[in-house]
Amino acid sequence: MKGAILKIENSIEKTIIEFLKKGLDKKLFDALLIPVKVPAGDSYAWVLVQDKALLEDANPLPPVMSVQGAKALSSITRRGKSNKKIAAIMRPCEIRASIELSKLQQIDLENICLVSIDCPGALPLKDYLEDTKKGIDTFKKVIKEWGNESVRPICQMCDKSVGLSIQSDLHIGILGAKNNEIYLIPSSQKGKSILEEIGIPAEESTDNWEKKTKEFVETRKKNRKKAQSTLSEKVMGLDNLLETFSNCINCHNCQSVCPICYCRQCYFESEKMKLSSDDYLIRAESKGILRFLPDTLLFHIGRMTHMSLSCVGCGACEDACPMSIKVAQIFSMVGDKSQKVFNYTPGKSIEEQLPLKVYEEDEFHEVEKP
Amino acid sequence: MEKEFTPKIVGFLCNWCSYAGADLAGTSKLKMPPSLAVIRVMCSSRVDPVLVLRAFLRGADGVLIAGCHPGDCHYEKGNYYARRRFALLKSVVETLELDSERLQLSWVSASEGPRFQQVVTEFTEKLKKLGPNPMQEKTSM
Ligand code: SF4
Ligand code: SF4
Ligand code: SF4
Ligand code: FES
Repeated sequence: MKGAILKIENSIEKTIIEFLKKGLDKKLFDALLIPVKVPAGDSYAWVLVQDKALLEDANPLPPVMSVQGAKALSSITRRGKSNKKIAAIMRPCEIRASIELSKLQQIDLENICLVSIDCPGALPLKDYLEDTKKGIDTFKKVIKEWGNESVRPICQMCDKSVGLSIQSDLHIGILGAKNNEIYLIPSSQKGKSILEEIGIPAEESTDNWEKKTKEFVETRKKNRKKAQSTLSEKVMGLDNLLETFSNCINCHNCQSVCPICYCRQCYFESEKMKLSSDDYLIRAESKGILRFLPDTLLFHIGRMTHMSLSCVGCGACEDACPMSIKVAQIFSMVGDKSQKVFNYTPGKSIEEQLPLKVYEEDEFHEVEKP
Repeated sequence: MEKEFTPKIVGFLCNWCSYAGADLAGTSKLKMPPSLAVIRVMCSSRVDPVLVLRAFLRGADGVLIAGCHPGDCHYEKGNYYARRRFALLKSVVETLELDSERLQLSWVSASEGPRFQQVVTEFTEKLKKLGPNPMQEKTSM
């Protein structure tokens, strides 16, 4: 694999911004979709910018993930392709969610250039908001130590945050680069020609990046396995599940921030979930006691059956949960298992079909009872 | 004397095959286990896993989805999709370490009255061994 090398000036962030500005100058893209610090200074928002001058507060690798990037991209293109070229700079899990959403016809990737970046993780939103100054320092350390324990638990076990598995048009490689350099690695024709037009064709070796990211992924895979087996002991089984979700206040934040849950009308908020008092009274009588708001477990397990095949483990749900339930860790673990059944990796490739949209005549006989 | 446990089964039967098969079992006066609640659906692929979960989490001792044999779906391929959805549902329920044995997918054609009887009887026997669904008593949510 070949890439281009950029010398870091000031900081990684600024160097990337300068590169993107060149792309705007040369009209390789007409606008950027990129996180920008909000005026109050304490968080980040997705901004569609055409004017270079407004990129001062942009940050391609912000300390937190406030809105899942795929959700932002989907709001722009779900009604059809963008008529102007947009470069979207996102974390790998946001790229993966975008690919899933494009398969679900909620994103049109024509005229979009996906730019991904090696990701050391993101800080938990709550931690960051408590003290943003401290958060910024903490995140500097996170980049330096590449993904230490200050990042969200879901990030600590993410094994797809760096390296070759990321299917964007252009990837920004940080791991394994020399101290004052970063890599720009094209993974599509789009990405390749952007580098050529800017005058930095992909001719340098990226061996070191490949090696370092591979090692990193291996470590993360081990972390994931370990974390999931601990989690499984605490969460799985009826009693554990009941305990885990007993704090849930049914706010459905987890669903509404999830990039994969795109439904205009969620089943769990539909009329189908609003039953007559008789129904509840009958259930209360037969169970002895019925908790309100009702159907919490149905919501979570039902949602798993709806979307876990495409869950990219981005952690947006967990960041949004006011009750600190480990929603993302649980959903992505269930996702791992169901994805394995179909030999499917969400966001891995745009060609790979969604498992529930295809079938083979001769398969899954083990689930049939003759 | 303690009353014998009769498992409650919710059955989603496709209109064109399994429902007709069940009907045939009825008109042929085949002896059926007593507590099967039938829900007629137009095709096995209509069964969103959430519907199965609704019955299961409320305490149904077993949930059966039955449709036309593969290749015979009235809508050509509905049951192939249904099988995939069921595989997904099974996997989720298994991962959560809940009782996936209580969920069953079977194929019964319109002419298979005796087969329908057999499927329900065998499922009932299995559920008798498993005992009542703990969801009934344990969960209030
Ligand atoms: S839970 Fe299901 S119905 Fe609700 S938004 Fe997600 S996928 Fe759609
Ligand atoms: S369920 Fe949570 S972790 Fe999975 S894609 Fe949705 S928001 Fe991300
Ligand atoms: S965000 Fe948390 S509290 Fe709200 S519904 Fe989801 S799990 Fe429950
Ligand atoms: S109509 Fe019977 S399974 Fe589709």
